[in-house]
Amino acid sequence: MKILVPVKRVPDPELKANIKDGKLDLSGAQWVVNTFDEYAVEAALRLTENADEGSRDGEVVVVTIGPDDAAVQLRSCLAMGADRAIHVASEDANLDSLLVAKTLKAVYDEEKPDMVLLGKQAVDGDTNQVGQMLAALLNLPQATFAASIELADDGKACVVSREVDAGVEFKKLPLPAVVTVDLRIVSPTSITNGITPESHEYADGPRYASLKGIMKAKKKPMDNKTMADLGVSGSPVVKELEVTLPEARAAGQIVESVEELVKKLSEEAKAL
Amino acid sequence: MSQNINRYRCDLRDLQFLLFEQFGLQEILGKGKHADWGQEEVNMVLSEVYKWVCDVTGPINESADRVGCKFENGEVKTPAGFKEAWKSLYEAGWRGLGVDEKYGGQGGPSTLALTANEMMSGANTAFNMYPGLTQGAAEVIEHFGTDEQKKTFCKNLYTGVWSGTMCLTEPHAGSDVGAATTKAVKLDDGRYKIEGTKIFISCGQHDITDNIIHMVLARTPGAAAGTKGLSLFIVPRESVDGSGYNNVVCASIEHKMGINASSTCVLNFGEGGDCIGELVGTVEGVGMKQMFLLMNFARIGVGTQGLGVAAAAYQSALEYAKERLQGPHMKNFKNPEAPKVPIIEHADVRRMLLEMKGRTEGIRALVVKLGMHADKVDILEDGDQKTYEKGQLDLLVPLVKAYGSDQAYEVATTAIQVYGGAGYLQDHPVEQHCRDAKIFSIYEGTNHIQALDLVGRQLGQRGGANFQAFLKDIGAFVAKNSENETLGKHVKELGQAAQSLGATAMRFLGWFQGGKAQLVPLSANIFLKMMSTTAISWLLLEQAIIAEGKLAELAEHDSDRAFYEGKRYSAIHYAGLELGQVLNNAKYLGEENQAPMEISTASF
Ligand SMILES: Cc1cc2nc3c(=O)[nH]c(=O)nc-3n(C[C@H](O)[C@H](O)[C@H](O)COP(=O)(O)OP(=O)(O)OC[C@H]3O[C@@H](n4cnc5c(N)ncnc54)[C@H](O)[C@@H]3O)c2cc1C
Repeated sequence: MKILVPVKRVPDPELKANIKDGKLDLSGAQWVVNTFDEYAVEAALRLTENADEGSRDGEVVVVTIGPDDAAVQLRSCLAMGADRAIHVASEDANLDSLLVAKTLKAVYDEEKPDMVLLGKQAVDGDTNQVGQMLAALLNLPQATFAASIELADDGKACVVSREVDAGVEFKKLPLPAVVTVDLRIVSPTSITNGITPESHEYADGPRYASLKGIMKAKKKPMDNKTMADLGVSGSPVVKELEVTLPEARAAGQIVESVEELVKKLSEEAKAL
Repeated sequence: MSQNINRYRCDLRDLQFLLFEQFGLQEILGKGKHADWGQEEVNMVLSEVYKWVCDVTGPINESADRVGCKFENGEVKTPAGFKEAWKSLYEAGWRGLGVDEKYGGQGGPSTLALTANEMMSGANTAFNMYPGLTQGAAEVIEHFGTDEQKKTFCKNLYTGVWSGTMCLTEPHAGSDVGAATTKAVKLDDGRYKIEGTKIFISCGQHDITDNIIHMVLARTPGAAAGTKGLSLFIVPRESVDGSGYNNVVCASIEHKMGINASSTCVLNFGEGGDCIGELVGTVEGVGMKQMFLLMNFARIGVGTQGLGVAAAAYQSALEYAKERLQGPHMKNFKNPEAPKVPIIEHADVRRMLLEMKGRTEGIRALVVKLGMHADKVDILEDGDQKTYEKGQLDLLVPLVKAYGSDQAYEVATTAIQVYGGAGYLQDHPVEQHCRDAKIFSIYEGTNHIQALDLVGRQLGQRGGANFQAFLKDIGAFVAKNSENETLGKHVKELGQAAQSLGATAMRFLGWFQGGKAQLVPLSANIFLKMMSTTAISWLLLEQAIIAEGKLAELAEHDSDRAFYEGKRYSAIHYAGLELGQVLNNAKYLGEENQAPMEISTASF
C-alpha cells in the first residue's frame, strides 16, 4: 500500500492574523502543517502499519508545493513517521487551487500511489477545492470529508464514512482513489487496515513527532523538484484583490423583558 | 469546574537566540557524542516539545491544581490525565533527550534537555516532578550503581516503565540531613533491611507507574554520626525479583499551598513487614556523596522549574496587559471622555513588564550558560579547559537554584500585580504560578543552604580559582565593551560590580580567619544575590551587544527587529536596576552590620 499525502504549510492558526496594506502580513508568522493535512498524515500512517507491533507495512510519501522553508514542515511529517518527502519549489503567491491540483497530478503520475489522502481544506484559505480538482484531473473516484476508512481485505478498495446532515454515509471506492479527511479521522478507532488488530486503541488525535522520529527524519529521502521538472506551467486564475478583517461586532444590549426584545427587534433592528 | 485549556506560552525565539546566537550550541553539534545532532534537529525538538506541552500537560495544569492528589487506604490517586500524559511523554521520548542511547535515549546536549525542561515545567510544574525525579534516580544509579543495578533499573527508569523518588528528609532531619535516623541493617545475602520514616517525599506514592524506585538515605549500624555515616539505598516499592510488595507504606499526603498535583508523602519503610533495599554500588558511607549528584541534578531542575513558571507568568501578564482596557492614556488624564487604553500603555505596568522580562531572560541565560558548561565537561578530554568548565558549572548551580527560585516567586507575584484584582482570582493562571513557585526556594536545600554552599564550598574550590576565572571572564567582557556607545555606561558599572564582588569574597575569607565567622551566614544570601545579578547583568549586556550587531544588519521592516530591540531594553533595565544594588550591598556588608545577631531573642 502506497499513499501520497499532499501537505501545506500555513501560518499558525492560533496566532492573530496581521493585515497590512490590504494584504496578510506574514513576515513574523510561525508556520505549521495545516491541521487537516496533519490528520491525513496520521490516517496514512495508521493505514500502513501494525500499531501493536510498531512495524510499517506500506509507504507514505508526503509532498508539498511551497518555498524553501516549507522543507521544515515536510521534516516534521517525516518525524511523525512518513517514509519519504517530495518538495516542489514554488512561491505561495504563484499558486492557486487549480495549479496545486495540476502539480499534484504530475506527482501522482510519477509515483502511482494506491491512494491520495489529503486534508479536506487548508485552514488558511479554507477553499476546500484541491482534493476534488485532483480527482477530476486524474479521473479517479473520490470521497471527501472522510470520518473513517476501512481497507478491504484484498487491498483493492476501501470503505469511507462521511458525516453528512442526514447521518453517516458510507462509500465504497475502488483504489486508486482520492480521499480528503475531516477531523474525526484521527479518533481512536477510525482506521481499519486489516493489519493492526481491531482491539488496538489509538490515542485521539495525530501522533506527535517523537524524539526518535526527529532523529530518523534527517536520514529519510527528500526529493527536490521544480514545477517545470514536472511539466507544469501557468499562472493562477484566482487573484487576491484585498484582505480585510471582518467588521468589529457592535456591543450587545441587555433587555429587561421579551416584550422589549421584540420591540427592539422590530423597530430598531428591523429584523421582524 | 475548571476547563482543560492550555494557557502556557513560551518564547521560543529567546531559546533559539540563547542556543545559537549567544552560546554557540552549534559548535558542539554534528561531531563526537552529538554526531547525529544538527541545528535542524534542535529546532525541531524545541517546536515539537512546545507543541506537546501545549497539547498534553498545559491543558491539565489548572484542573490538576484544583483537584490535587487524593489519598485513600494508603493509595494516592493523581489528577485526571496524568497517567495518559506520562504515557504520551515516554512515547514521545522527550525525557530521553540527554540520555545515553544504551538506555533508550538520544544522547543530545544537556543544554537542549534543560531548555525542553523549561517548557515542561512551565506548562505543568507539578506533573513534571514525576518524570524529573525519575530521571534523577536513574542518573545516580547510572553513575554509582553496580553493572547489575544499572541493568535492572536504568532503562526502566529512563523509559518511564518505573518512576523514582529521592528520600532524604525525616521529621527531625530537614536542612540538617545528617540527623537522619532511618536504619539499614545488612542481611546475609548482602541486601539490607530498611526501617524508618521519611517525610515530604515528592511523588512518593501515586498511581502513574506500577512500581516506584525510592532512593533512600539511611544509616548502617555503628556508622558515624552526621552525613558521613549515611549510605544510599535502592528501595523499590514492589520487589524487582518478583517477590511482591516491599512494605513501603504511604501513611499520608500533605495539603499544600501549591504544586497540588505532585503528591508529597510520608513514607514508612518496613511497616508491617520487612522492607528490603540494596546499597548503591558496593561501599557503605558514601551515600551523601552519591546523593549530591542527584541533588545537583535536582537543584538545576528546581532553578529550571523557577524559570519555567516565571516565564509562563510573564507571558500571561503580557497578554493580559495588551487586552485589559483601563483609564485614559496619561497625556489625556484630565479628560474623562478620552478613550480607554490597554494597561500596557501605562508607565508602571510597562515598568513591571520590563522587570519581569529582564529577570526571566536573565535566569534563562544563566540556565543555558550552566547547560553549556555541563555539555563541555561531558565532551572534553581531561585538562585545563575541562577543569575550567567544571568549575564554572559548580559555581553556577547554587545561583541557578536560589536566584532562579527566588525570582520565580517575585516574577509571579508581579504578574498578579499586573493583572490587578483579576490576577488574584482563580479565573486566571497567575495565582497558581505564584503558589506553585513558593516551594522552589525551600526544597532541594533551602536557598540559605544554597548560599552557604556557595560561600562555604564553591568560592574556595581549587583555592578560589573557579571564582577567579568567573571574574576574569567578566573582566574580559568589560575590557572589550566598555567603550560601547549606548551600553558602555552599564558595562563599566558591571566592571565595578565584579570588583566589589571579588572584594566581598576576600572579606569572607578575612571573617573566616579573623574570628568573625558568624558574619558569613549572615551575609551569604546577600552575596548569592549579588553574584547572581552581576552574572545576569553580564549575560544580558552580552545579549544586547549581539542584538546591536544584528540590528545593524537587519532591514528596517524586518519583523525580528522587535525581538532584538527588546534584548537591548531587557539589559539596560536590568543592569540599570541591579548593578547599583551590588555596589550598595558590598558597602553594606563592609560595614559588618550584626543587628540580627546582636538583638536578643527576647527583643524580637
Ligand atoms: C512540597 C515539598 C516537597 C518536598 N520534596 C522532598 C523530596 O522529594 N525529598 C526530600 O527528601 N525532601 C523533600 N522535601 C523536604 C525539603 O527538602 C525540606 O523541607 C527542606 O530541606 C527544609 O527542611 P525543613 O522543612 O525541615 O526546614 P528546616 O530545616 O527546619 O528549616 C527551617 C528554616 O531554618 C533554616 N535553617 C535550617 N537549618 C539552618 C542552619 N543550619 N543555618 C541557618 N539556617 C537554617 C532554613 O533555611 C529554613 O529557613 C519537600 C518539602 C516540601 C514542602
